[in-house]
Amino acid sequence: MRQGKNRFIIGFLAAPVTLYILFVIWPYIQTFQVAFSRWDGQSAPEYNGLDNFKNLFSDSKFTGAVEHHVVMLIALPLVTLTIALFFSFMLNLGGSIQGGRLRGVRFSGIYKVIFFLPQVLAVAIIGVLFSTVYQQGSKSAGVPSGVLNAVLQAVGIGGKDQIGFLTDSNLALWSVIGVMVWQAVGFYVVLFSAAMTSIPKDLFEAAALDGASRATLFFKITLPLLRDTLQVGWIYLGIAAFDGFALVQVMSINGGEGPDNSTSVLPLEIWNNAFNQPKAGYAAAMGVALFFMTITFAAISMRVTRRESIEF
Amino acid sequence: MTTQPDTIRTAKPAARPAGAQPGRGRRRERNPFMALSHIALLLWALLVAVPLLSTFLGAFKSSDQILNGKPWELPHHWSFSAYGRAWSTAHVGRYLFNTIIIVGFSTFGTMLLGSMAAYVLARYTFRGNRFIYLMFVSGMTFPVFLALVPLFSMVKNMGMLFTYQGIILVYIAYSLPFTVFFMAAFFKTLPSSVAEAAMIDGAGHAKVFFRVMLPMAKSGLVSITIFNIIGQWNQYLLPVVLLSGDPNKWVLTQGIAQINTNAGGVADWSGLYAALSLAIIPVIVVYVIFQRQSGLTAGAVK
Amino acid sequence: MSQSPAPKGLDRRTLLQRVGLTALVAGPGVSLLSACATSSSKKKDNVKANNSDAKNPFGVKATAPLDVVIFMGGYKDDYATKGHEPIYKKAFPGAAIKHEAITAIGTTLQPRFNSGTNIPDVVDNSGTAQMDWTALASAGQLQDLTKLWDAPSVDDPSKKVRDTGMVAGKPMQMNYVATTFGLWYNKKLFADNGWTAPKTWDEFTALCDKIKAKGIVPFAYAGKNAAYYMYYGIIQSANKLGGNQVGVDVDNLADGAWSNPAVKTAAQKWGEICQKYSDKAYLGLIHTQVQTLHKQNKIAFYPSGDWLENEMKDVKGADGFEYAICPYPDMGGDKLPYPALRVSAGEPFFASAKSPNPAGALEYLRQMLSKAGAQAFFQQAGSMAVVKGALEGLQLTPGTQSVVDAQKAAGSSVITWLNFDGWYKDLDMEARNQTNKLCYGGGNADSFCSALDKEAAKIKADSSITKQTRPAIS
Repeated sequence: MRQGKNRFIIGFLAAPVTLYILFVIWPYIQTFQVAFSRWDGQSAPEYNGLDNFKNLFSDSKFTGAVEHHVVMLIALPLVTLTIALFFSFMLNLGGSIQGGRLRGVRFSGIYKVIFFLPQVLAVAIIGVLFSTVYQQGSKSAGVPSGVLNAVLQAVGIGGKDQIGFLTDSNLALWSVIGVMVWQAVGFYVVLFSAAMTSIPKDLFEAAALDGASRATLFFKITLPLLRDTLQVGWIYLGIAAFDGFALVQVMSINGGEGPDNSTSVLPLEIWNNAFNQPKAGYAAAMGVALFFMTITFAAISMRVTRRESIEF
Repeated sequence: MTTQPDTIRTAKPAARPAGAQPGRGRRRERNPFMALSHIALLLWALLVAVPLLSTFLGAFKSSDQILNGKPWELPHHWSFSAYGRAWSTAHVGRYLFNTIIIVGFSTFGTMLLGSMAAYVLARYTFRGNRFIYLMFVSGMTFPVFLALVPLFSMVKNMGMLFTYQGIILVYIAYSLPFTVFFMAAFFKTLPSSVAEAAMIDGAGHAKVFFRVMLPMAKSGLVSITIFNIIGQWNQYLLPVVLLSGDPNKWVLTQGIAQINTNAGGVADWSGLYAALSLAIIPVIVVYVIFQRQSGLTAGAVK
Repeated sequence: MSQSPAPKGLDRRTLLQRVGLTALVAGPGVSLLSACATSSSKKKDNVKANNSDAKNPFGVKATAPLDVVIFMGGYKDDYATKGHEPIYKKAFPGAAIKHEAITAIGTTLQPRFNSGTNIPDVVDNSGTAQMDWTALASAGQLQDLTKLWDAPSVDDPSKKVRDTGMVAGKPMQMNYVATTFGLWYNKKLFADNGWTAPKTWDEFTALCDKIKAKGIVPFAYAGKNAAYYMYYGIIQSANKLGGNQVGVDVDNLADGAWSNPAVKTAAQKWGEICQKYSDKAYLGLIHTQVQTLHKQNKIAFYPSGDWLENEMKDVKGADGFEYAICPYPDMGGDKLPYPALRVSAGEPFFASAKSPNPAGALEYLRQMLSKAGAQAFFQQAGSMAVVKGALEGLQLTPGTQSVVDAQKAAGSSVITWLNFDGWYKDLDMEARNQTNKLCYGGGNADSFCSALDKEAAKIKADSSITKQTRPAIS
């Protein structure tokens, strides 16, 4: 029976483990190795120590992308979580008080279904979708307006020239962030809703009995108890702020760099170095740098927001 | 027993009229804040729906109407020609077919291999169990694009570049961490009594797995399968790296993203809208059906 | 290998990158490949050319089989199976031809070359997974094609093969497809309105005014993914104005190459055209979207290569639309005369040095370079081969006919092709960015030139980037 057990274990683990090591583990290890060498992607890599990493800091494309990530890091979690919090509060607790219990607004179920929808769509598809939404139109040029410009024109915003959301270097990055928020909000609405429904109602009732306003209910009870979920959301969104590859490559002009290189992101630069130029070693170094930046952010976030969990 | 918690401002009435539901002690709060909130919710719902709706409508419109009309107008004439162009000339039909094939095989392979590995890791003790388990789970923390270039070389050297089998195997490999993590947790919760009984009856380990444990894990299998299908269906990075060289094998995401770059792609807007619709509508349909079936938002649907 | 969404022209452009790469200069004035050529030709030159035998100058054995590998891409492989291979078979009826159509050339063939077994004779080494030319050359796998260029041409044995080509042949690559670049317009639209292709810049702007008055956008290019079409045009004008050396300097990253007065004038004049006669909305569009509007008579002039007609063949255009090409207009004081066109060659083939039938490989290439071969290629693949005058007298599509006419008018005035966009991706991207700024962003020529000089200097100073050069134009 022992023989059979070992054979069974090996038999069941052989295929998954082999596949995994071959296509996941080994390439990751190689990336870390290759980050320290000069490699064109085809012939043998030649070791060059920390040169790649040193060059990163003087590479304006690298530093430019990092700047964009800082902006996204601040804006994306802040905007998404604020909106999602507000909506999930409304949907779960913002409605009538029925039979002594706080309810969500009417149709909250339908709202949630609609809000969550962008999550199930592929990012690349959303990118193409919003390329059309953000389109700067011009009748004389035969270019139709995107929905956004059409709405703005209908309400009188925007002059003779429509707004180039993706072609104006001051707007492009924000337009990209806008799409990221559009896709992310629904997920957090659902997440926060689930967390909120697990908060015992008696807490609310007791507070309401004491004369607490709705705002008080939100800030003094809901928010603190959602802290853990918020922390998770913050970290996930921060990690997402280090990505943006598919969206930017599909939506932004000039291969994703954007007007005046205003939408470059690190995964895009890594991609360009590895596949459009023979600088796979350098790209790997950039990837390693990005990886450490992401991990550092996650670690700091966890430390800073750490608190004892509240038992209830 | 409820009080009206807040000061009731008399300025504006609520956005909604007093509700029709009878009930004891039910009071509805009316104040501008509530009205604003309702408007905000509605606005966001529109923000989600309008881009999609105008795309679906646009697919039916003539170029003239798209240029000169408003995006939210209904089509003057409902023409399906754009869909035809998107399906065949722009190869969206082929991309859909490719995606179904690839995701079908990959999800099956993922669930099979993932469950097998998860089961062994969850219910058997042996040296290296913890190590292998952590090896799988840690994969969830690494971003895929880190491994892209060595992965490309690896697949190229194995002669599987631009092939179905290559991308299927890679999909399976990268879906294993998530699958193993969740299925292992699930397998741990299953009672051992049934398995033991089967073994006493003389069934081998493998038989127990396939005949007894897997069926017991059905609910877990179903939800993880669905997550894998969605994740693999929406993949963009891996196909672009591993399938670019052969446009006949492209999947839906990369096909739509590069819709204007392959020969005979649609270059007009109605065709583009049609292609987008073909990619989006099936997903929405499945999503809505799934919503009704399992109530993803269960407990929150009032 | 470019993975980002790219126009079809870019595939060909990627091929042209490889053309540039074979001019890899390892040291001052020494071409790596020609050095290897001499060494390999000493070692393995088992094909003796006898140029007095016009029918079989390479001494091909009548019954020796031939193994031909074609890249299965944009051109497909019908041109080989229905064109070139039958031509070869007619000359050598006893030879069996093995035909292989492969997409991942490198993946499939590299092992065969490495192991020395089953090496094909003729290889169309193209596509994103093609084999590395330098590596092949170093391993002595490529035949020196000088014998090919010196051999008598199939159509006129008194001429050498090298004289029948539009572009000079390379030592180890036979680049088969000729690409012409110019301004495209609708012949019918112009005829209906009594407009003619402008020869001088004044004629050009006057024409643009008339076109604009008719409600048509006179000029456009696609800013989202094809801004390089526009800077190709700017440099084309600059080359025409100041001579081909201007482009060579740009390629060689010479100091101040972009601030050359010819470049500045070209940038300034084209910037003005875009600002006055184009529309910012095109900045966010992809090449096929702009090309569709062009084919629907919403845009008059569009800069592109001669792949345009084929690329747009499935798109419905205005009634009676006929593609026509015209050269870039004179800017005043041009070194090259008006009809000068930009021509270059891509889609590289090689003849193996270590395969069973090296003589047959050379003969196959020679037959490809005949008029019959070029015509067969055109009929099957819809593109022009580098053979001069091969398509004259044939029933051609309007666009191709106009290219043939324009090439005839251009004679020997050739504007040479740019290479830096394949060599230095960063410079290519920055050039696209600056072009967009100049043309659709209301920028000026001074900042265009200085920004690109800065980027070129940066690349020049970066020792980790392998540099390549083009020889000076005498």
